[in-house]
Amino acid sequence: MLVCDEYLTPASLDAAFASMEARRDRYRLVAGATDTFPWAREGRAGDVAIPTLIDISRIPELTERRIDDRRVRLGAATPMQRFLDDPALVRAMPCMPRCAVWFADDQIRAQATIGGNIVNASPAADGTPPLLAHDAEVELAAWRNGRIVRRRLPLDRFVIGPNKTALEDGEILVAFDCAALPGYGGGFEKVGHRRSLVISLVCLAALVKLDASARRFEDVRLAIAGIGPRPLRLAEAEQRLRGAEVSAARLEEAAALPVDLVASRTRQAYRRDVVRGFVMRGLINALQRAGIAPGALEPDLEAAYA
Amino acid sequence: MPELAVEMTVNGRRVARTAEPRQRLIDFLRDDLHLTGTKEGCGAGECGTCSVFVDGVLVKSCLMPVAKAHGARVDTVESLGRNELSVLQKAFHKAGASQCGYCIPGMVMAATAALRANPLAGREEIKERLGGNICRCTGYQKIVDAVEMARDIGRGTLPASALDEVEAQDGRFIGANVRRLDAPSKVSGALKYAGDMTMPDMLHVQVLRSPHAHARIVSLDTSEAEAMPGVEGVITCDDVPGEDGFGVFVNDQPVLARGKVRYVGDAVAAVAAEDHLTARRALDRIKVVYEPLPAVFDPDEALRPGAPVIHDYAPDNITKHIPIRVGDVAQGFAASDLIVEQVYTTQAIEHAYLEPEAGLAYVDHDGVVTIVSPDQNITHHRHMLARILALPINKVRFIMSPVGGGFGGKEDMIYQGMLALLAIKTRRPVRLVFTREESIISTAKRHPSRTSYKMGLTRDGRIQAVEMKMICDGGAYGLSTEGVMRKAAILGAGPYNIPNLKMDTYGVYTNNTPSGAFRSFGALQSQFATESHLDICAEKLGLDPFEIRRINAMRDGAVTHTRQKLRSVSLLAALKAAEQASGWQPGAPVSRGDTREDLAKEGVRPPCSLGTRFEIADTKHSEVA
Repeated sequence: MLVCDEYLTPASLDAAFASMEARRDRYRLVAGATDTFPWAREGRAGDVAIPTLIDISRIPELTERRIDDRRVRLGAATPMQRFLDDPALVRAMPCMPRCAVWFADDQIRAQATIGGNIVNASPAADGTPPLLAHDAEVELAAWRNGRIVRRRLPLDRFVIGPNKTALEDGEILVAFDCAALPGYGGGFEKVGHRRSLVISLVCLAALVKLDASARRFEDVRLAIAGIGPRPLRLAEAEQRLRGAEVSAARLEEAAALPVDLVASRTRQAYRRDVVRGFVMRGLINALQRAGIAPGALEPDLEAAYA
Repeated sequence: MPELAVEMTVNGRRVARTAEPRQRLIDFLRDDLHLTGTKEGCGAGECGTCSVFVDGVLVKSCLMPVAKAHGARVDTVESLGRNELSVLQKAFHKAGASQCGYCIPGMVMAATAALRANPLAGREEIKERLGGNICRCTGYQKIVDAVEMARDIGRGTLPASALDEVEAQDGRFIGANVRRLDAPSKVSGALKYAGDMTMPDMLHVQVLRSPHAHARIVSLDTSEAEAMPGVEGVITCDDVPGEDGFGVFVNDQPVLARGKVRYVGDAVAAVAAEDHLTARRALDRIKVVYEPLPAVFDPDEALRPGAPVIHDYAPDNITKHIPIRVGDVAQGFAASDLIVEQVYTTQAIEHAYLEPEAGLAYVDHDGVVTIVSPDQNITHHRHMLARILALPINKVRFIMSPVGGGFGGKEDMIYQGMLALLAIKTRRPVRLVFTREESIISTAKRHPSRTSYKMGLTRDGRIQAVEMKMICDGGAYGLSTEGVMRKAAILGAGPYNIPNLKMDTYGVYTNNTPSGAFRSFGALQSQFATESHLDICAEKLGLDPFEIRRINAMRDGAVTHTRQKLRSVSLLAALKAAEQASGWQPGAPVSRGDTREDLAKEGVRPPCSLGTRFEIADTKHSEVA
């Protein structure tokens, strides 16, 4: 079980840093905290004594969202549920609702934050592929020489390995800054042992924009997690599709490309099958939601990956 | 003790208290406010029994620091239907959605949230929205039925009278869907399970468990723990006044490890203290020196000569061997056209009842040692405990608290003895509540099995002989192993006429977690082998799997291989019903090829998917467009 002597809920970044400065090495940051108590149990960390828990989920900068047609600035303590119920977010991040609906369960989504999901840096974190597909950057803040210092990093340089990030001691993940992609069709594919409360074996985010003919890819963004030490963009497959006419043959060609990226510790043969199927299904779902012209996709293909 | 001032509105009442910063919202609700309708099934956010509303949003209170609820409005299951059950609670009652009831307060809360989010939610969306809540009794169908019923009453397509009790037809209730008498207390959260009960001056118990699979206890020193302020009693096997040892068939398990430990999780010592945290910290002060012994984890290895011996009384590590012989198998195999051999294995399975073990014990004013626990076998346990405590039977009393799911897993007296000893030693009420992890590590599992099967049949599919040898991993203690081996042998060959049979079931000691009673009690493992084997034989003979079973089926008047005469056998009727209900496509298993016609039809469930709420939104969108 988890034991702490104090639980602080700072109302500003300044207050948070002041608390952290005064308690070096004697605190742990929490946001949604949904993984904190389960972590301090038998079989994981066991009994844990942390002098101070600092809850950063009520700091305005971490909860605010600024969304326009080009950019999304997403406070790191945004609960996962907002991706389902905030219409502006749904419009700007079209694959996120599909990601969020598979995330944990209705109760946990209300409390768990996107920032927490990313800093845990699980190789199979559900939140990472969509953010990678949105070219997200992380904004990090630290208290250095009496003032707040900020830096930015692309997400793929922030998540650097299993449970490893570039977060430095005393640094807080404040926000994500990413491309707004209104008008894209979004898909999210996930496989695990059950429907709710399941960690992905593999998950994939797909975002597709069609040109005016509604038959040709204008842009394609694909990212995957659970097939290796960290989540990845599928750049080669994207390249093969961008500007191309939508066809079964072209989809199948692209879906075959990332199969060899599988570098997981276990079940590689299975994951190779999953990767190919997920790219197909993710793209087909995204194409349908992007408004592909009727008849442009073979009905058999849609049925096969429904 | 560190303090945290919290204020919130709980079920409409203002609450201002001093909490501890480490507390979770569930701790505050249950321990400080005595709102025990909110249950703890796992403590890790997996089961949903602790679901509550915080500012109108459903959360899992075992994942929420109490500080997060500061200033919030919190509503627990006790807020629903304060004067009269809510429509949803009544629907749970009517539909028979509550069985053990332990998941039900959380389930009612999740269902309430689901219908608030979408009062017209369809069946798939209801399932999706209840995905964070686990039930082990119902199979969920009746829970979803209940939510649909409440939804339909809400939208006016079902009259509220649908929730009323059915009238007896001609004074008869058989065949009628009668409401369960105990459901109102379960849907309202009013029912107290053992872990919900408290007594004045009650102490909290924690158990020190072995980290070794097999080790000799060289020394055990509890003096430091006993000297801690707040610790009122520490017990070891030396505190047992009578004849130590309990079990279902053989009393091979001491209340606390005596001389050696036999599995990871074996109880070594127990502490009773003023509060849970002190009891837990005292465990760290108990000094145990172990000398690891060679351990054995595979029953086949345990049977080999020279294998580590787990119990001195059983040098061959055999807990129980049940042999059954009918006819002459050699002759039967000689008369067969086809002989098929195969090995089948099954794994350990945890019961995972939603209520972890819990118990409360006290010595009453007449000196009667009283144990309140969800115990599936109180009479037997009363006799055993009297012997262990060296007390006359009238000085030992067992009270069976509501069992929040048992499935056989609560038939063993694995903690009641410790509670009795601590109640006697401290002269105060004591309570132990297992964590989910403790429940999984220390209590019985379904026996893992390995069955070597040999069957001889004639070309027309008639069984001539069966030779079946099942070896089960009984783990470190006997528990129900003997009975499980008997049942496996009695039922394992299935409801088939087998003229020549050689059946052996072995329960074997190993250093694994003990195996014990679990629904079907051994028949599952052996029948899994038999039924799988029949399918393989059907394939080899080009027979329909239903047909091979009909050919060999016992009929009225059949005599089983344990010489029981069966006056009526319903197998043929059951096969027919299963064949029709499944839309079975007739033919041998190999005749189907790559495609199947019996799937994706009406009445066949589609695979699980998620996102029903979007489909509805999409439909709405296209309707507008």
